[in-house]
Amino acid sequence: MEIREKENRQVKVKVSHLTKKFGDLLVLNDISFDVEKGDLLCVVGPTGCGKTTFLNSLTKIYDVTSGEILLDGHPADPKKDHIAYIFQGNSTMPWLTVEQNVAFGLDIRHVPKREKQELTDRYLEIVGLTKYRRYYPKQLSASMLQRVSIARAFATEPELLLMDEPYGQLDIELRFKLEDELVRLWEMTGTTVIFITHNIEEAVYLGEHIMVLTNKPTTVKETMRNPLPRPRDIAAPEFVRLRERVTDLIRWW
Amino acid sequence: MSVEQKRKLITCTNIDKSFKVPEGIHQVVSDFSLEARENEFICLFGPGQCGKTTLINLIAGFELPDQGSILVAGKPVTSPGPERGVVFQNISLFPWLTVMGNVEYGLKMAGVPKKERQERAQKYIDLVGLQGFEHAYPVKLSGGMRQRVGIARAYCIEPKVMLMDEPFGALDAQTRYLMQEELQRIWQTEKRTVIFVTNNIEEAIYLADRIIVLSNCPATVKKEYVIGLPRPRQYTSPEFLALRKEIQQ
Amino acid sequence: MNKKQKNITELICAVVSILTFLILWHIGVKGELGRLMPGPLPVIRMFFATLFGGTIGSRTMIIHILYSLIRVMAGYFLGAAVGVVLGLSMGWSRLVEAVFSPLFRIIRPIPPIAWIPISIIWIGLGEDAKIFLIFLASFCYVTLNAWSGAKNVDPDYLRAARMLGAGKRQLLFTIVLPASIPSIFAGLQVALSSCWATVLAAEMVRSSEGLGWIIIAGMNNNDMVQIMTGILAIGLVGMLLSMIFRKVEARLCQWNKSGS
Repeated sequence: MEIREKENRQVKVKVSHLTKKFGDLLVLNDISFDVEKGDLLCVVGPTGCGKTTFLNSLTKIYDVTSGEILLDGHPADPKKDHIAYIFQGNSTMPWLTVEQNVAFGLDIRHVPKREKQELTDRYLEIVGLTKYRRYYPKQLSASMLQRVSIARAFATEPELLLMDEPYGQLDIELRFKLEDELVRLWEMTGTTVIFITHNIEEAVYLGEHIMVLTNKPTTVKETMRNPLPRPRDIAAPEFVRLRERVTDLIRWW
Repeated sequence: MSVEQKRKLITCTNIDKSFKVPEGIHQVVSDFSLEARENEFICLFGPGQCGKTTLINLIAGFELPDQGSILVAGKPVTSPGPERGVVFQNISLFPWLTVMGNVEYGLKMAGVPKKERQERAQKYIDLVGLQGFEHAYPVKLSGGMRQRVGIARAYCIEPKVMLMDEPFGALDAQTRYLMQEELQRIWQTEKRTVIFVTNNIEEAIYLADRIIVLSNCPATVKKEYVIGLPRPRQYTSPEFLALRKEIQQ
Repeated sequence: MNKKQKNITELICAVVSILTFLILWHIGVKGELGRLMPGPLPVIRMFFATLFGGTIGSRTMIIHILYSLIRVMAGYFLGAAVGVVLGLSMGWSRLVEAVFSPLFRIIRPIPPIAWIPISIIWIGLGEDAKIFLIFLASFCYVTLNAWSGAKNVDPDYLRAARMLGAGKRQLLFTIVLPASIPSIFAGLQVALSSCWATVLAAEMVRSSEGLGWIIIAGMNNNDMVQIMTGILAIGLVGMLLSMIFRKVEARLCQWNKSGS
């Protein structure tokens, strides 16, 4: 436990003065934050607050106008550093089976065959899809597809996992199930996760830390630690209090 | 006037519905019965994909039941009719018409003269808070705004019953809260009998007078809750959360 | 990068690429090749010289262009009108579809120029025959696209319209027709280039004016400059037509363009 505590204090991602302009339009304004190694950081902000731009800048899909993103102390480079993404909606390849989809990221990284098979088997088992390994995505439900994406991302054992509203379109019951599964995987692997969502309840349920963004031009309004013990209870008074506090910071509607 | 004294507007009795699929026959609704009174807001809540939309389609008259009967305002349902407005999950605005064009469409089809129908359409555009966007095409609108048009379009034919099939299912969580508040406001200004399908329990508790919990595949009534909380409701009040836990079981 | 900068960049790229092409062409024909192929300058000179003033054969360039254009337009619009009506009817009514689709499926794969010999035997290759060929070229594409457009109308639009009280006729004119317009326009666009190809083929077979005739007459006189001038004119007119076409489409399908 103590070792983990110590590890936790190590900074994995350091973002300093991240600024992004489109022409004259300032979208991200001087964003700075740290993510500790093994953290699960939930990022919430009002609708239309530039979360997508934030993510795309973080992954260097966009060139940032100014500022720095450091991963383990060196400038992050998606070509070299091992960053995995999970998006909303289905991003599985329809022409590959469930098993091949999970192995896809490993193929790209030229993981040796034996190891690839082991990792694939392990993560299929963890997300409970071993039975469906020979199925094609078309034959699966939305939540199963999202599980395939999650297994695919975790199987590559990324240094950093970015999740962009991955459960936005699922109904509550499935969402809770997958959220619990994510927490389990995160606890097991100690992966550093940045989880972006619109859903305040989800952010409070999942996050070790919660970062609240403002409306455009986006800045960090507040970052808070979420001390609630797991498993969390959405009806517990402390949970409700934290949820309301975050809501007050965001509320535009 | 208490709910009991108001007249029944919708009566569904022992409805069965199944579809032919390659694997055989797929039953999606089984022995479903429902009574809805005037100006009652009913949420059909259930997880999963199956049966709920079919129920809306049956009451709307897009499909006919295999067994059982559906009466709306005393008349059996055999086809879509102007006393039933439908708000669709994927909104389905006509993209080649402006906001005004969409909202006045029903009146135009009914042959209402231009001036009158535009006045009436304007009333509902104002009601959903879209004044200023009359001449915008749907592609230019955000998801929440599109669904406002969808609601105005259905309201504009002045139906007795509004059927809403997961109207906010495609919106993000925050816009969804906003639209729930908006729908409540609209409904309180222009009362109608509403059948609202959702798989979001918060939404159901926030909006409904009565929640009908459906089983998944085939859909049938599992349980019923009368929601007595005063409006507007608080998502994080203890009573709300307690109800949520109870229904979620 | 803002929009204005982007447009300027695109313009510069266009000018540079065309100029480079002309220069390469100019240099390329300096040596041996020059005996088979004229350089760009004489071709451009001839194009402008004959545009209004001088003549190729007995007519100026602009008259030749007009001849070809009028033939195309007559057949194109006729074919488009019949195609839209037939295509929409096939998409709308199972019966119409059952009657016409087998026939249509056989006629469709036959390229319009395959009909040239028959037209010559039947009605000679006068104006009506040329227009008939162009009609075929336009009709097939437009029918096909109107048909698939009408068949693939989002059923939710139809349900929404029925819910709002639209009757059968109203569904056809207020939903199926507008919903098919993007597909119809895609057909019209392909049809236009197909018509343009057909008119040239027809003119090359038999005529005494038009752009196709310029090329064939050039070949008969062994006049490479005239051939190249004809080809240049074909390219320019084709480009102009598709530009006009896109403007009209953007106007009519405003609702189909998102962009903010």
